[in-house]
Amino acid sequence: MLVWVIYDITKNKTRSRIAIYCKGYGLYRVQKSVFLGSLNKNEIDELSLQCDEIINKKEDSVYIFPMCDEDFKKVKLLGQAFDKKMVKDEVIAKLF
Amino acid sequence: MQLVINSRGSYLQKKNNCFLIKNDDKVFEISVKKVDSILITTSAYFSTDAVKFAVDNNIDIIFLDHFGNPYGRVWHSKLGSTTLIRRKQLESSTGERGLNLGKEWIICKIDNQINLIKDLRNSRAKKGKILSEHIISLEKRKFMLTKIDGSLEDKRNNIMAIEGMAGKEYFGALNYIMPDRFKFDGRSRNPAKDEFNCLLNYGYGVLYSMVEKGCILAGLDPYLGFIHTDNYNKKSLVFDLIEMFRILIDKTVVYLFSKRKVKKEYFDQIKNGLSLNQEGKAVLISALNETLEKKIRYRGRNIKNRNIIQLECHRIANNLLKQK
Repeated sequence: MLVWVIYDITKNKTRSRIAIYCKGYGLYRVQKSVFLGSLNKNEIDELSLQCDEIINKKEDSVYIFPMCDEDFKKVKLLGQAFDKKMVKDEVIAKLF
Repeated sequence: MQLVINSRGSYLQKKNNCFLIKNDDKVFEISVKKVDSILITTSAYFSTDAVKFAVDNNIDIIFLDHFGNPYGRVWHSKLGSTTLIRRKQLESSTGERGLNLGKEWIICKIDNQINLIKDLRNSRAKKGKILSEHIISLEKRKFMLTKIDGSLEDKRNNIMAIEGMAGKEYFGALNYIMPDRFKFDGRSRNPAKDEFNCLLNYGYGVLYSMVEKGCILAGLDPYLGFIHTDNYNKKSLVFDLIEMFRILIDKTVVYLFSKRKVKKEYFDQIKNGLSLNQEGKAVLISALNETLEKKIRYRGRNIKNRNIIQLECHRIANNLLKQK
């Protein structure tokens, strides 16, 4: 399932922690505080529990939005665009 | 996905739950959850942290030399399965039972070759006649093979000879449909003398490591072959089993040529032959991955080409276990 993770966090340490979690689950950074990628249900649960543990509930916010494939096709990208194939796990081999 | 480290001097390290690959000013970070295997095709550095991380997550790191032959792999130091399979493998490797198993594999290979030439014939009406002749003589070889019986020790040379003749016939047919610029003269190795063999050798190299992995995971001993004889450090079983899967590489390479995707710039001249350069490797590996990712109908299931190797190895191991 395609998932957007969007956050707004005041403390630097917490913010970078969340970014590390997102990367660890295989999400791609599409903007400074926006991650996107394909996760399964369990991974979404794990990630939300981990984030829930470290954020300050009075100030911070983390949103995890699932998105269906049909809607993803309608996404419009202006300016610096991300790699659509990459976030959908359609890249079979990455050459570096 | 498969991570291919193809640029010289890259540095692979672990960072949190990710692999980080650095080269000069380029950085690429990828989660461990998205990586299936790491292929290193050039000189590179990596940290032991990254190695342990890969092993812990069942990701194998494979090193390929200049010609695509795997010269090493990092993999956990376990057997893969029970030793009982190896015991049965040893028992079955001689006599009639060994012959039948070995015959089955070579027949599968020739069937694959016939099917590929039939496919090629469908889209080449003008060349149909000569291709049909090749098919007929391949069928003949297959028939000769089915007739062989007795013990493996006596008939090993017969099988190898028929296999060799079938191979010549098959590559003759492939040469016939090659574009004029890329005609070749039989198989050549170490080094390849032409572009076709160059791509083929590199592809087979990648395939060897996949088959070896399949054997280990299924609990088969890669060094205990049936048709191929024992020798120092000779992975005889891998050589035996790879025959069934060579078609995956053949198909990929033939279609690369027929779709006019091969350029002379992909090859470097070396002494006595050619070698595939960085650009060429990139084209071949991505084409190969496309083939491996394709789903086909196989033994009544829809399955990715990539997983057929593992499926076959497990099937062989299971059949060995069933035998009394």
